[in-house]
Amino acid sequence: MLDAFSRAVVTADSKGAPLGRADLVSLRKYVADANKRIDATLAITQNVSCIAADAVSGMVCENTGLTQPGGHCYPTRRMAACLRDGEIILRYVSYALLAGDPSVLDDRCINGLKETYLALGVPLANAVRAIEIMKIATVAIMTETNTGRKMFEGINSGSGADCKDIASEAASYFDRVIDALS
Amino acid sequence: MKSAVTTVISSADASGRFPTLSDIESVKGSFDRASARLESAETLAANIDRFTSESLDYVYGNNSYDQANKDKCSRDINHYLRLINYCLVTGGTGPLDEWGIAGMREVIRAQQLPTVAYIEALTFIRDKVNVPGEMSQQAATEFKSLLDYLINALA
Repeated sequence: MLDAFSRAVVTADSKGAPLGRADLVSLRKYVADANKRIDATLAITQNVSCIAADAVSGMVCENTGLTQPGGHCYPTRRMAACLRDGEIILRYVSYALLAGDPSVLDDRCINGLKETYLALGVPLANAVRAIEIMKIATVAIMTETNTGRKMFEGINSGSGADCKDIASEAASYFDRVIDALS
Repeated sequence: MKSAVTTVISSADASGRFPTLSDIESVKGSFDRASARLESAETLAANIDRFTSESLDYVYGNNSYDQANKDKCSRDINHYLRLINYCLVTGGTGPLDEWGIAGMREVIRAQQLPTVAYIEALTFIRDKVNVPGEMSQQAATEFKSLLDYLINALA
């Protein structure tokens, strides 16, 4: 597993050179944006059940057959598995966001996910839709464009508008999962 | 690769939990020290050749070691300094542990390397760091603690 710092180190080691001023520019930005990154991570961890439950409900509302007998979310045991997977994906996205590098998400979540879903008969299109909704909800909470409670009043980064870049980084991690399942 | 952040994530993942506030606090602690570390890494990268040659001239200057080994020793000191530069960037001893110290004892024994010369060179570099001319006090502290870590591993 790598973070933004060790990723830079591994890249430099392949060239056999130390990391100089030019290489450190992006890392200094990572350090400067640390508070935003922490807030964005909190935006996920404090809203996990809400994000996952909304995404799965949204997916079911668009395909009501899923909860009928014979549907993939019937009986509730399978619906519960679906909610659990949503939370697992969110957890790895939160790790990747904190690290500033997708390797933990790739190695421990995405690798083999599609094969597992195919083997278990999970419909990939519906899984992708649920992840898309999670992405939209997460970005909305981070940038405070959601309805309801706003995240950042009074804590580190001050406002959601400042977290736009971090939110699009988070969106890119969701996109990685979507791409892997598509 | 072990670093402040990956250590926290590994332990969170092992118990299947989201990063907690205390996880985030410890990550934040490493971010707070990061600017000194990066300053130190930058200075080291800019001066790596000078540090190497000055320390080698000092160690091999008094003719107590076989001069034929000077080039090889210089290559190794340069290598170790590069790994220290990586450690300063990651904020942990991961690069030194994985690429420098793992297997080091076996190599030194097999090649009959003069580790005392290495230690002398690294000690010279540690003692010659110019504060605040080359780097700030905090940056020098980070740099020196890694040099000490390596010296202890060689000793």
